[in-house]
Amino acid sequence: MKLAKIFAAGAVAAMVGTGGAASAQDLTTVNLINPLPRSTNFYPLVVAEALGYFADEGVEVNVLPSDTSIPYVAFLQNGQADVAMLDPVETLSAVAAGSEINTIYEVMQNAPEGIATPAGSDIDSIDDLEGTTVGLVSDRDRSFLQAALNTVGLSIDDVDTVVLGESGPTLAAAMRDGNVSAISGAAPDWIALMVNGIEVRMITPEELLASPANTFAVNADRVEELRDPMEGFLRAWSKGMYVSTFNVDAVAEMLRSAVPAEWENEEAGQLFLEMSIGMNVSTTERLGDLQRDVWTDLQPQYVEAGAIEQAIPVDEFLNDTYIDAANDFSRDEVEEDVEAWVAENM
Amino acid sequence: MAVAEEITEAGAADAPRRGNVWRRRLLTHLAIFLAIVTLWETGVRAGWLDELFFPRPTDILVSFWRIYISQGNVWYHLYISLGLVLAGFVGGSLLGVGLGAIVGFNPLMRRFLQPYVIVLEATPRIAVAPLLIAILGFGAQSKISIIVLVCFFAPFINTLSGVVNVSPEKLELFRSLGVSKLQTLRKLVLPDAVPVIMAGERLAMTAALTGVLVAEFIQRDVGIGSLILTYTRNLNMASAFACIFTLTIIGFAIFKGMEIADKRIAFWNHEEGRERLSARRRRAFEAKGRA
Repeated sequence: MKLAKIFAAGAVAAMVGTGGAASAQDLTTVNLINPLPRSTNFYPLVVAEALGYFADEGVEVNVLPSDTSIPYVAFLQNGQADVAMLDPVETLSAVAAGSEINTIYEVMQNAPEGIATPAGSDIDSIDDLEGTTVGLVSDRDRSFLQAALNTVGLSIDDVDTVVLGESGPTLAAAMRDGNVSAISGAAPDWIALMVNGIEVRMITPEELLASPANTFAVNADRVEELRDPMEGFLRAWSKGMYVSTFNVDAVAEMLRSAVPAEWENEEAGQLFLEMSIGMNVSTTERLGDLQRDVWTDLQPQYVEAGAIEQAIPVDEFLNDTYIDAANDFSRDEVEEDVEAWVAENM
Repeated sequence: MAVAEEITEAGAADAPRRGNVWRRRLLTHLAIFLAIVTLWETGVRAGWLDELFFPRPTDILVSFWRIYISQGNVWYHLYISLGLVLAGFVGGSLLGVGLGAIVGFNPLMRRFLQPYVIVLEATPRIAVAPLLIAILGFGAQSKISIIVLVCFFAPFINTLSGVVNVSPEKLELFRSLGVSKLQTLRKLVLPDAVPVIMAGERLAMTAALTGVLVAEFIQRDVGIGSLILTYTRNLNMASAFACIFTLTIIGFAIFKGMEIADKRIAFWNHEEGRERLSARRRRAFEAKGRA
């Protein structure tokens, strides 16, 4: 009977705990659909939560981490998600297909995506991939591979592709045993390999490295409706990002506590954080700013790769209406907050 | 000496022997388990087994300690996953048994509904899981729906076949004796159908564990499935195995629990249950005789 009560309580907790409804009073829930649960990869979220920045802005973030088989844009359109984390090719494909979405913030301005080969491999550049089998971590990586091949005049038909999945052992075995000539994936995929002694060499074309990735997008017709919570959400995110520019140790400590599963191996955690900081810290003057020229420049590659039929004017989907508000905070105050947090927790 | 007392004394005499047999079996299983673990550990250390896929058992043991004791991060995930398993199992079972009984008792419903249910059963449920999440949205409701869908068919099919396959001769006998419909259900249909339904419930319970993993692999917020994905993505295979073995232990415990429930609920289908019932009836008979 007691056991039944525990299970029943678990069922209820599962119903409310993983649900999307706001639980705290006076906080507006921002439903964010993205590929990962709270992770070192997106540390600004964890840092902003640890320092209470979302609550200060009157929002709470409900993360909806989902497999990439889930159509993220559809969830924006049916209102189940307020904001989606999309790759450029997903954004462009959705806009080309008539979805009225706006990119509002660039989470990563240095693409985490890349193409890697085993360190001792004969494959030195993208040209060498012709006629070989290239592994894809997920179907989302096909477009990136297409764009990469396109930079040297090759097409996706010039290689065989196989989707390997996100499982670490499968990727490691494929890389170590040479089952594939290269793998098209993202930074977290390489980190696990490197920490486990499998050296990789990146052969990503230079022109794709500056591509934004994991951008935030909202439904165009909800931009005004979401203004208050979205400005607060993005400001808190920017503050979280800013912390990593002056106190990496504090960020690491917050992550150890929030995502212990990623920090069981300290070396792996540190490497993961180091690479994540490189990707998350904005290179633009305003944090998360939208780089119109970069979006314009990357489109011909996707057109030639067949991901979209024609280039789309960037004004159709880039909307920086929240960017000023996302940067409207005092750096000094953030530094003081972190100092206080360190004094209390480290 | 009364018959019931003779049986009780015989049972008492058998008890130490049964205990010895049970201990011997346990020791044998323990020895086999230790041999496998030792071979595994030796195999990895000697390089016969790829450590990428088979972490050392000693490392797995350390991970067990970490995720349960020192770090303690597995508890919350387990709590959520088991809650979902229970909710999905109860939902799937109620729906399966209820609909199976309705379809079984009503030939018209059977004619119209059964083909659709069978077609639905032939559809790979895991493939529709992302669609279910898209339709029902994020959160526990879509995860539970996936588990309900995975759990539903075994109780449905077993209830249907349990109800439909009651011996026609016995039914005819009941009819000719003028037994009411309710009595026929209680005295004939249920005793025949319950053991088959319980077999369906056992399958449903183990399917629920698979269902929760599928749901958590797609919707990765919390739960043991999400934790396994995090560990495998980071190549932390020892902790991933600790989570997988946790599920193995839970699966085994659930299976055994369902076996016990089966013996209690459908006791007439098991020798021990029949013996217990006979002894009780004999005791009652003896008591009546003495009075």
